[in-house]
Amino acid sequence: MKRGYLAEVMLVLGAVLTTAAFLMTFFWAPPSVYPDGRVDFAQKIFYFHVPVAEASFLVFFFTAFYGVRFLMTKRKEFDVKARIATEVTLFFVLLTMATGILWTRVEWNVWWQWEPRLTTYFIMTLLVIGYFVLRNSVEDEERRATYAAAFGILAFIDAPISFFITRVVQSTHPVVFKSGGLEPPMLVTFIVGQIGMLMLGYAFYQLRLKEEELKERLEALKIGLGG
Amino acid sequence: MGSLSWRQFKAILRKDIVMELRTREMLTSMGLYAILTMVVYQIALVEAGEGLDVRLVMPGLIWVAFIFMSMLGLNRSFVHEKDQGCLDALLLAPIDRPVIFLAKFAGNLLFLLVVEALTLPVFAFLFLQGRAGFGGPLWMVALVLVGASIGISGIGTLLATISVNTTGKDIMLAVLFVPLQYPLLRAAVGATFAAVIGGPDATASFWNWMGWIAGFDIIMVLAAFGLYEFVIEA
Repeated sequence: MKRGYLAEVMLVLGAVLTTAAFLMTFFWAPPSVYPDGRVDFAQKIFYFHVPVAEASFLVFFFTAFYGVRFLMTKRKEFDVKARIATEVTLFFVLLTMATGILWTRVEWNVWWQWEPRLTTYFIMTLLVIGYFVLRNSVEDEERRATYAAAFGILAFIDAPISFFITRVVQSTHPVVFKSGGLEPPMLVTFIVGQIGMLMLGYAFYQLRLKEEELKERLEALKIGLGG
Repeated sequence: MGSLSWRQFKAILRKDIVMELRTREMLTSMGLYAILTMVVYQIALVEAGEGLDVRLVMPGLIWVAFIFMSMLGLNRSFVHEKDQGCLDALLLAPIDRPVIFLAKFAGNLLFLLVVEALTLPVFAFLFLQGRAGFGGPLWMVALVLVGASIGISGIGTLLATISVNTTGKDIMLAVLFVPLQYPLLRAAVGATFAAVIGGPDATASFWNWMGWIAGFDIIMVLAAFGLYEFVIEA
């Protein structure tokens, strides 16, 4: 199967699965209840928030991975791949932040709290934004690629350290898979959403890459035509 | 490291120290900056009045001063190299790239530690007099300073090499530096706090935070060390 074709299949499948997960969230998965018996409706955002957050970490891995590949080979394609992976990361990171903030408003009555995982995520957002600020302020193409690769690798190593260090102090953020787990319908809904989101991540990445390659071919053609 | 590399290391470090002793540019600018920060702290804390236990906020305050001060110094240390073409000369010379990193790292660490050692007593003099002093032994504070400064200078040396070649320079260093240093600063503030408060619980917490600092230093400085060769040749 050609890569471009696969990306489109993934896009459609991902869209179907995330939509299915969305419907399952509201019509199938039983509502979570507080210990005192009240229904915790805000918990529903979990089926979107967690898949997006995990997708962001996974895609961020490719920023570092292609950064290493670039430094080893100095081939431009790896720089483009690392950049696009970071773009997709930024997209997921912003979605995670947005959904997380909505949830904290409902559940904790504040828009923001310097709580460990929120803090970590804020740091990660700054790192991803820093990556693009850095790219935009270097003129030379190869130098830009090298700097971005180096920073991407450092940022990827740094993010988990931030994640663990903030957990030294007591966190109020729910830890889903430790506290007794989920009921089967909840788990299935979550997994469908997670797989769908990863497919979407893959599709976004590949389609953006394709766009970039087309752009380059167009530039080459323009030069070839003497314009 | 062979003896040749060791001589090269010493030569670069010596160059930085001699230049600093002649111009005194880094030490004065960093020291002045730290003092000015304390004036700002006085203003920041003035409304809190006498009832405020400065020891509770002190660890945070000194690391705010040190982190911004270190960025100032890191920037200086590479602006010189670049403006006077010294970095190009270093690259032309048959010196192993890791040696350049280690020498610049050692120089930055040295200057940072000197300024920290000078400003910390000033801070204590200005803010802690007449209040409860340090709860823990002073060597604890010294240990945090050394541990955290290693991480700051190690990553800082790499990032300053990057930022000096960008259009934003100083602001670029801050954008890259502060988020990357987040875990280190968190641990440094935690450890300093434990050292200042004192007591058996605090000692346990101190070593816990020191473990984080050591882990961060090892992982991140090694990463910076490994990446430096690519960055400096780009």
